[in-house]
Amino acid sequence: MFLALLTSLGSGPAPGEVSPDAILVQSLLQQDVNAFEQLYDRHSRSVYSLVLRILQQAATAEEVVQDIFLQLWRNAASYDSERGPFVPWLLTLARNRALDHLRLKSERQRRREDQTDELPSVAAAPQYERELDERRRIARVRALMGGLQPQQKRAIELAYFEGLSHSEIAERLKEPLGTVKSWIRNGLLRLKEGLQTAS
Amino acid sequence: MSNADQFRELIEAYALGALDPQERASLEAHLAAGCADCAKALEEARWLVSQLAYLAPDAEPSELLRGRLLQTVRAEARAARPGKSSASVPFWMWGAVAALLLFTFYTTWETAQLHIDIEKTNAQATSEIAKRHELEEKLALAQREAIILTDRHSVKIPMAAGSKDMPKLEAMWHAKLGIVVAGQNVPMPSGNRTLQLWLIPKTPGGKPIPSMMVRPDADGKFMLLVANPPDNMQSTKALAITEEPPGGSAQPTSKPIWVGAIG
Repeated sequence: MFLALLTSLGSGPAPGEVSPDAILVQSLLQQDVNAFEQLYDRHSRSVYSLVLRILQQAATAEEVVQDIFLQLWRNAASYDSERGPFVPWLLTLARNRALDHLRLKSERQRRREDQTDELPSVAAAPQYERELDERRRIARVRALMGGLQPQQKRAIELAYFEGLSHSEIAERLKEPLGTVKSWIRNGLLRLKEGLQTAS
Repeated sequence: MSNADQFRELIEAYALGALDPQERASLEAHLAAGCADCAKALEEARWLVSQLAYLAPDAEPSELLRGRLLQTVRAEARAARPGKSSASVPFWMWGAVAALLLFTFYTTWETAQLHIDIEKTNAQATSEIAKRHELEEKLALAQREAIILTDRHSVKIPMAAGSKDMPKLEAMWHAKLGIVVAGQNVPMPSGNRTLQLWLIPKTPGGKPIPSMMVRPDADGKFMLLVANPPDNMQSTKALAITEEPPGGSAQPTSKPIWVGAIG
């Protein structure tokens, strides 16, 4: 289902073209509820899947997803389509908010309602990404990560989904710090090379 | 390997948020110095890291969430839209309209005040969290330096001064935690110049490897931590410190002030 949804997004726009997402986000500036509805229907599942994976609790995950989409609605101007594609930006925003929630929860602090200062930085898609079909890219990411050594994949997942640092991962896995650094760097480079090959 | 190459190796882990505080601070300083190659690499690395989201198992939010969100968004859109004017408003209603306007002005003013209060509170919370993170990072560095200085596995490297006017320094090298160089009564480098540490490789003809920079404090003290030295201490012949222009150099531009042989 997830794949089917993302397939519906189609390929990325050619260089110079404006993506449908960018047009919808632009419409949010005019308080266009229909545009918001479309953006939510296009991306809520991918955002929710990611947030749920990080927080591991459905009710909390929905609360955070609600915050993310309301932030998008209220601060649509914070996304600049000229600086990078929308989906990576949204997923980065979702990950940051979910990890913030995870950390604040662990520190028994109250969640802040408005965190416009924590919007993600630009994530520029390389040339090979623009030419790669969305569905193939998702399947490729999963296949490439599945092809890594289990410990390598585990280290990357601990960093990405739990927000752990090199030292914290080394402690969790009881492995030398240098080994963990190599796992993560080499794993990400293999993913990058694999995506380049896929294009 | 140049400074830029060393930092380039940290970019993916930085985008992933996996760097420990010391490495993160070093890389952020390097990026702030305007390295265009690293900035471009970081943009691509951020995109690469965002792709990891697709590893999350597929899940679907409830219809209730969709309903709640759309209800909120519609209400906010209605509130933001200007009301329709009407020419057929009965005269007697103007009083009610005036009262309503007064009430609206009052509630708008109150809402604005509330927003100001919320913004102030948010700004204060953000500032407190930033301060706390800064303190945590300083504490982590201090703890790391203390362990390196006291751990029995650390190797002591006395660093002799080339001039009698200069104090002797001492470095401690811990294979896993890094190198700490400590100095006292060290004269301040002239102008904005800085002291820079170099790792001299054993390989014949090998160029000095640039490392961290430091300036002593007003009392002439400094503590320099190298968090990611070469894994194998045996590949390094000596440590050396030179005085360099602000921002450091890729290769030494002056004679070493201190040198400490290893082994």
